[in-house]
Amino acid sequence: MAFLEKFMDMDRRWVYLLSWIFVLAPLLYPLGLPIPINQESIGWYNYIENIPAGSTVIFAPMYGTSGIPELFPMTVATMRHLWSRPIKVIVVTFWTEGALVFNILLGQVDPTSYGKVYGTDWIHLGYIPGSETAMASFARDITGTVSADFLRGQPTTSYPIMANIRTAPDIDLIISIETGTPGYTEWLRQWQAPYAVPMIVGLIGVSVPGIAPYIQSGQVSAYLPGLTSSAEYENLIHRPGLAVAGVDAVSMSHLMVVILVVLGNIAYFASRSSKGGKK
Amino acid sequence: MSNLLRRIEIPIFITIIFTLIQVIPYYVYIQPLDDAAAYIQRWILICLALATFVGVLSLLLTHGKNLQKRSKGWYFSAIVVVFTIVMSIVGLPLAEVGLGAANPIYLFLYNNMLQPLSGTMYAIIAFFIAAAAFRAFRARNVEASIVLLAGILMVCSNAPIFTVTWPPFKDIGTWIFAVPNMATNRAITIGAALGLVALAVRTLMGIERGYLRGGGAEQ
Amino acid sequence: MVDLLAIWTAVFFTLAIYSILYRDTAWYRIAESVYLGVAVGYGVSVDLLYVRNQWTTGGWSTPGVMLAGFAIAVIMGILWYFRFIKQYFYLYRWPLSIIVGTGIGLALRAVIFVQFRDMIVAQVRLNLWVPTNMLTTFNNILLFIMVPCVLLYFWFTGAKIRETAPMKVVDKIARYTMMAGFGSAFGYTILTRFSMFIGRAQFLLGITPNPPENRTAFIVLALLILGSMIVYDLFFKKKS
Repeated sequence: MAFLEKFMDMDRRWVYLLSWIFVLAPLLYPLGLPIPINQESIGWYNYIENIPAGSTVIFAPMYGTSGIPELFPMTVATMRHLWSRPIKVIVVTFWTEGALVFNILLGQVDPTSYGKVYGTDWIHLGYIPGSETAMASFARDITGTVSADFLRGQPTTSYPIMANIRTAPDIDLIISIETGTPGYTEWLRQWQAPYAVPMIVGLIGVSVPGIAPYIQSGQVSAYLPGLTSSAEYENLIHRPGLAVAGVDAVSMSHLMVVILVVLGNIAYFASRSSKGGKK
Repeated sequence: MSNLLRRIEIPIFITIIFTLIQVIPYYVYIQPLDDAAAYIQRWILICLALATFVGVLSLLLTHGKNLQKRSKGWYFSAIVVVFTIVMSIVGLPLAEVGLGAANPIYLFLYNNMLQPLSGTMYAIIAFFIAAAAFRAFRARNVEASIVLLAGILMVCSNAPIFTVTWPPFKDIGTWIFAVPNMATNRAITIGAALGLVALAVRTLMGIERGYLRGGGAEQ
Repeated sequence: MVDLLAIWTAVFFTLAIYSILYRDTAWYRIAESVYLGVAVGYGVSVDLLYVRNQWTTGGWSTPGVMLAGFAIAVIMGILWYFRFIKQYFYLYRWPLSIIVGTGIGLALRAVIFVQFRDMIVAQVRLNLWVPTNMLTTFNNILLFIMVPCVLLYFWFTGAKIRETAPMKVVDKIARYTMMAGFGSAFGYTILTRFSMFIGRAQFLLGITPNPPENRTAFIVLALLILGSMIVYDLFFKKKS
């Protein structure tokens, strides 16, 4: 039983090493495990696919560089999907780094390849400081709150896409990709409750449990929880990317966690019963 | 005069007025009040944006003192000071002189320092969680066993290797999300809403003064 | 050349943070210090750009109410910095009060609907008998019981009524419900944290769209950093 005691008390750096192995190995040598498509990603895909032609959508990358690993794949996939449809997209963010995160996306995805023209089919309004206050102001007066676009610094009212966009009721849908606050709660308080603008939310795993009541009540129409669902979504739009590339590593890392927890508990109970036997 | 301006009642009064300006027009339409609320919502964003140097100055004061006194680890403070100043200056929105979000130094610092550092800082928690799960996650009693079981089933539900091997894992995970998790979070949401209302009422009554603390004794 | 510098810099800082997994090292402290400086300095750009845009294209430079409002906003903005001067700290409280008051007002007016009324309506609307789907019926009955139990558990924390027999049943249901909920949170936390690590690993290995040169930098720098820590532990730490 001394072995069990040693096992339970082993240097945590062995666990760190195992984590490195279980993540790097499937990235270097992909297992090619199938990715079952689940209801969340189907719901997300169908919702975007069924947005009526000519609608105007707000796309809000509400995260910083810390959220890029988990949220960037779904951001890219969603923008590809939106740009492949005849809908107008207004990109805006209330997170300090959100605007530059979207610029990283522009370095990888070319909207002109979808036939989209900046200022007519889509626009990047950048970051608005002020969190929930900014969201409230934006709902009241869109072109007043953001008077110049982020990419060219021109007056927002000079762009055709903003011709009939003044207040929240002019927007047909909010798509928020987020990691925390400000996030869906603030969107619900400042856009959905007063103006009944529907919204769908892509979010990191840690935030997923909190959105459950809003999904059940219908306040949030669809959601995309984390990297695995991003991979499913990438497959649905037939553009496999970073999420698909990382899913094998998700599987192996989760397998490692399950094994560690199970082994830890077996060792714990075995050690406890052996101590009880010795008494 | 100075003693009058120091009185704590002034900021409390300001808080109450600005709260009511936002709340009243939402329920009772009064045109001038509604216009004032909209104007203040836009106006306040400028006020907030101008506070941007508070964090910079706080950092410079703290680490500047370490630098000045040559305290232990002062060289790390030097690094903090240098990068704070450089990032702040090259990021100033003066495109006419080549500064701003398009500045090459700014972009280099953002893309090759801030992005990897920020991402890795949060990514490192994965190791700590794995180690903590191994060392501390034990089925010591009924409640701990429920947490353990729900946790493990959720982990299995999120990984394709498990859901492909045995598809009911996904259904179990969906059930845990939609029932006990939903029940817990609904109750927490309602409780948090009541807490926010209570906090707002206390603030409106001038009882809640925590946000005004600091700077010495209140008048 | 600049691309190579960019790649090696990014990889270096990634690995410097990871060096904490071995132990607290100078590499980690350097990376942490750089992160602190760059993160705090970053916000200056986007905040001041917003102010500048509001002045040039937002109508605030129009004489009258707008210009007066902008001037007052600038004065309020300057008052923020009196927090660093103890003698005039009270001036800092004024813009703070404005922000807090407005924030509380905006949150308060809608929280009653979004996080209270709508939640209760959704709870009351649970269909307790769905003849075509017994699982939904069972789930809804569970929710009908669980949500009030958890609410009562929170509301009567510390109260004597908790000692009564009915409340003990309520407590048990609430605790078991919350434990299952927290287990769910644990599962999703694992997903998030490992997803973030996987993203960084993809970067280090140069998996598309990351530059493939990252992998070379990763191997070389990993060996250098790890080697330096091991050499320090073997040869220098003992002497000190």
